[in-house]
Amino acid sequence: MLKMHNIRKSYRTDTIETHALRDFSLEVNEGEFVSVTGPSGSGKTTFLNIAGLLETPTGGQYLLDGQEVGNLSDRERSHLRNEKIGFIFQGFNLIPDLSLFDNIDVPLRYRGFNAKERRRRIEKSLEQVGLSARAKHLPAQLSGGQQQRVAIARALAGEPRFLLADEPTGNLDSLMARQVMELLEFINQWGTTIVMVTHDPDLARRAHRNIQIVDGQVSDLRQNIAADEAAIA
Amino acid sequence: MIGYYISLALRSLRRTPILSALMVAAIAVGVGAAMTTLTLNYMMSRNALADKDDVLYAVQLDNWDPHEAADNPSEMPWEITYKDAISLLRSDIPTYHVAMHRWGGPITLEDSTLRPYTAQARVTSRDFFALFDVSFVYGGTWAGEADNNAVFQVVLNKSTNEKLFNGENSVGRTINFNGAPFTVVGVVEDWHPSPKVHDLNNGDFMKSADIYIPFGLHRVLEIQTWGNTNGWKPEKIESYEDGLGAEYVWVQYWVQLDSAEQRQRYEDFLTGFIQEQKSQGRFPRPLKFGLSKPSEWLVLNEVVDGDDRMLNWLSLAFLLVCLVNAVALLLAKFLRKAPETGVRRALGASRSAVFSQHLVESGCIGLAGGLIGILLTLAGLALIRQLSMGYMDSVASMDWLMMLSAIGLAILSSLLAGLYPAWRISRTNPSIYLKTQ
Amino acid sequence: MLELRPILSALWRHKISALLIALQLGLTLAIVSNASVVIQEREERIARPTGIAEADIVTAHFMPIPKDYDLLEAFRLDMDMIRQLPGVAAATISRAPLAGSGSSGGFHTKPHQEVGSTGAAFFSGDEHFIDALGMKLVAGRNFTPSEIRIMESSSSERPTITIITQQLADTLFPEGNALGKSLYFGGDDNPMEIVGIVERNLGPWPNSSVAGNTVFFPAIMETQWYDYIVRAEPGQRDAVLKLLEEKMAERDAERVIEVKTLTEQKTRYYAGDNTMIKVLTGVVSLLTFIVALGIVGLTVFWITQRQKQIGVRRALGATRTAISRYFLLENLMIAATGVALGTAAAQIFNQFLASEFGQPALPLSTTLVCAFILLAVSLTSALVPALRAANISPAMATRSV
Repeated sequence: MLKMHNIRKSYRTDTIETHALRDFSLEVNEGEFVSVTGPSGSGKTTFLNIAGLLETPTGGQYLLDGQEVGNLSDRERSHLRNEKIGFIFQGFNLIPDLSLFDNIDVPLRYRGFNAKERRRRIEKSLEQVGLSARAKHLPAQLSGGQQQRVAIARALAGEPRFLLADEPTGNLDSLMARQVMELLEFINQWGTTIVMVTHDPDLARRAHRNIQIVDGQVSDLRQNIAADEAAIA
Repeated sequence: MIGYYISLALRSLRRTPILSALMVAAIAVGVGAAMTTLTLNYMMSRNALADKDDVLYAVQLDNWDPHEAADNPSEMPWEITYKDAISLLRSDIPTYHVAMHRWGGPITLEDSTLRPYTAQARVTSRDFFALFDVSFVYGGTWAGEADNNAVFQVVLNKSTNEKLFNGENSVGRTINFNGAPFTVVGVVEDWHPSPKVHDLNNGDFMKSADIYIPFGLHRVLEIQTWGNTNGWKPEKIESYEDGLGAEYVWVQYWVQLDSAEQRQRYEDFLTGFIQEQKSQGRFPRPLKFGLSKPSEWLVLNEVVDGDDRMLNWLSLAFLLVCLVNAVALLLAKFLRKAPETGVRRALGASRSAVFSQHLVESGCIGLAGGLIGILLTLAGLALIRQLSMGYMDSVASMDWLMMLSAIGLAILSSLLAGLYPAWRISRTNPSIYLKTQ
Repeated sequence: MLELRPILSALWRHKISALLIALQLGLTLAIVSNASVVIQEREERIARPTGIAEADIVTAHFMPIPKDYDLLEAFRLDMDMIRQLPGVAAATISRAPLAGSGSSGGFHTKPHQEVGSTGAAFFSGDEHFIDALGMKLVAGRNFTPSEIRIMESSSSERPTITIITQQLADTLFPEGNALGKSLYFGGDDNPMEIVGIVERNLGPWPNSSVAGNTVFFPAIMETQWYDYIVRAEPGQRDAVLKLLEEKMAERDAERVIEVKTLTEQKTRYYAGDNTMIKVLTGVVSLLTFIVALGIVGLTVFWITQRQKQIGVRRALGATRTAISRYFLLENLMIAATGVALGTAAAQIFNQFLASEFGQPALPLSTTLVCAFILLAVSLTSALVPALRAANISPAMATRSV
């Protein structure tokens, strides 16, 4: 599903050049649920932005669903992002002026669906997250957990094959966090690939696989564990 | 997608009503100022004779002072002498030709309670109506002999006929003008072109004549023009006849020449005429005459004067300031929405989609500004009508074309103003707005 | 002054917005200062003394109807009647000055001259005209009744004496002592002796090049229409106007009569200049208003954007005054940049207006006064948002926006 090879990303200011990612290589298979952990400033967010086509890497190769995305135009990348990728953020990032219905409508508009199809998808995704009754409400009228469920509904409405979640439970209390996590697992079971950045080791463990980013590079825990086990054996 | 952008724009305008109102106000005031002066300039530049622009010519003859040219851009007197007008009228080359000047006097009616009032008159040769396409309601023009002999006939315009005869067919009736009885031979439609292209010596935007009388009456009525009289030559004028024969210019002269060949023949005729006059000691300056189309005549006479053009520049500069203002405010407004834009980018909006969305928002502000700008323009024009005390009434008004232009100008301005802010917001890196601070 | 560096670096991050404000102020200064100089010139033009008691004068324009009208009799009867009216100080038969209609010609100081004449407007009038116009005779004498001629419009008779304005006397006879000298029409040998000099008279066209050069002849010209010039006692003008309208119609209704104040005719003459003044004043005030609104809008925006930062500063011990001062200083730096740009732009714009439209040159002092006013407007606009910024609670620092 996602294949990164030797990705580099550096930010340059007037005085210094920071390397956010160095020789970063990673492969995520179709249907996988991968958690990404790592200390602050290790490059988690940069990885997510590149994976989500919000930023372009300085070097290296990135194949999304088998397609090389390095040389695509902004329009093509946006189209790809719209069609294949769903985003979930720590801060929910719902648009405060728009009702739940209109929030979920946003990616569908950019997809170019007709009104009927948009309505069908919005209603379906609201139903999936159990908020059908509140379609006309504004985000501010909901609790944090509800807002995150709307954000998930918005990410799902376009039926993406690949979901990127950035600390999706970071702003939630533990009960709500658990609910959101269960929702994500449920979505994953239906075939959506998920990459989730998190601080929470408990959540990280619930994924199929955990990747740790340290200093802009990957250390694959599962492989490490496997290697350790092999060594023990 | 445009519909979606418009609904987003309206939502966004409602969300920041004060900032939006400021921008709409800035655009409206800028457009109002610019359109007020543009409308004035447009109305002042109108050419009532545009339909016949290719065949009508204002005639100028340079009979001026050998020591210095006439003091105007054409370097020829605007008008011609009475005796030259009489000579030119003898030519049979033009399809039509008109010698004329402004006059006026009191009108009275026998056996009527009508109080005497001053009528604006045009003393003219008979081709006036045909040359300028002024159509008759009743009757027709006077006979050719009235241009050379004293024939007391008059053509009224419709309003005057309304006032004097309640709009009835008054052909054959009699009015008293300047103390002499005149027989009505025709009634024409009111004709008040603005600017008064056929007579630019007497207030460019004032009303034209109420009544028309034949050109053959000068001697018997001792008519002194109500227009400009200019002279350069010291001459002994001891009688009215001396005045008619003098080098004073006070007659306006127009011809209709329908083909290039006809025009060529007329030019040859004028050349010959001036040469002949030169041999008699007149026309001391180098041989020169002018044939100006109505459109050229308006420019030559500087109908749109320096003040008008200066105001035009000033109001465009004003619009520029309003635009810069709008750019700054739009930038502020758009950047405030940067987090939302970040989310939209993440959800699949391309840069060009973001750019279009914001440009549409600018356009909506422009549309609102344009509509209010029209109201401001109307107010501005009303103010100018009032301040100019009647001199500008006929030009300080807006037609539908100018209203459309106002909206167009407003939208164009706001799109221009929105260009940079929309570009800027579309280039913003979305990722920085997605992370919780 | 310690604050300047952080302000500058914060501004640098907002450079486009700051530049836009500066640009606005600069353009505004260029327009406002140029408009002011035009307004000033027009106002001075309108305010010029006319040399006549314009505020007290009423003119009655009349046009006789029948061809064989006994004019002299009508004049005698009208004048006798008018001079009897209560509130009338003086009356004469002439043409109204300042009204945009009249005659002019070229005059010489020697006979038989064809070139190099001095242009002047001329009026005919009787022995009452100095009094009726309320002019001041500064040298020589007035006309006497026996010197007044009734002249047909095409008569060959020339006046032999004349009264002229001081301005014309100084132009024609720069060495002085114009009194007793003679004037000639171009190419003519008929001397017209200057018997009197009046202080001032702007003539029929105050905006023309001959304004102030005026010549008076002792005559009543026979034409198609006449102006009675009636000077009222101070404060009586409007009463006299009404009375005049009434009594003239009463004496002879069979003529066209139009009674107007001279002030109205002067206002009408200056309508174009007046329009210009009002329009430019409108432009200047609207523009200043728009710019002020823009500054308010942007200052509010910046402050909203920096709420958290302000909260942090407050939490770190910045006083309210320090916060307000920060924003005012920021505004002052932007405005100063704008005004500096504008001073240069004003001169360039003025060059254009002067060369293209013959407008007056822009003195630096006018630009500086306008610049100062704009700086004040800019600071005032920033004041309210800046004071509000000072009220931002230090608690903002801990809140996430």
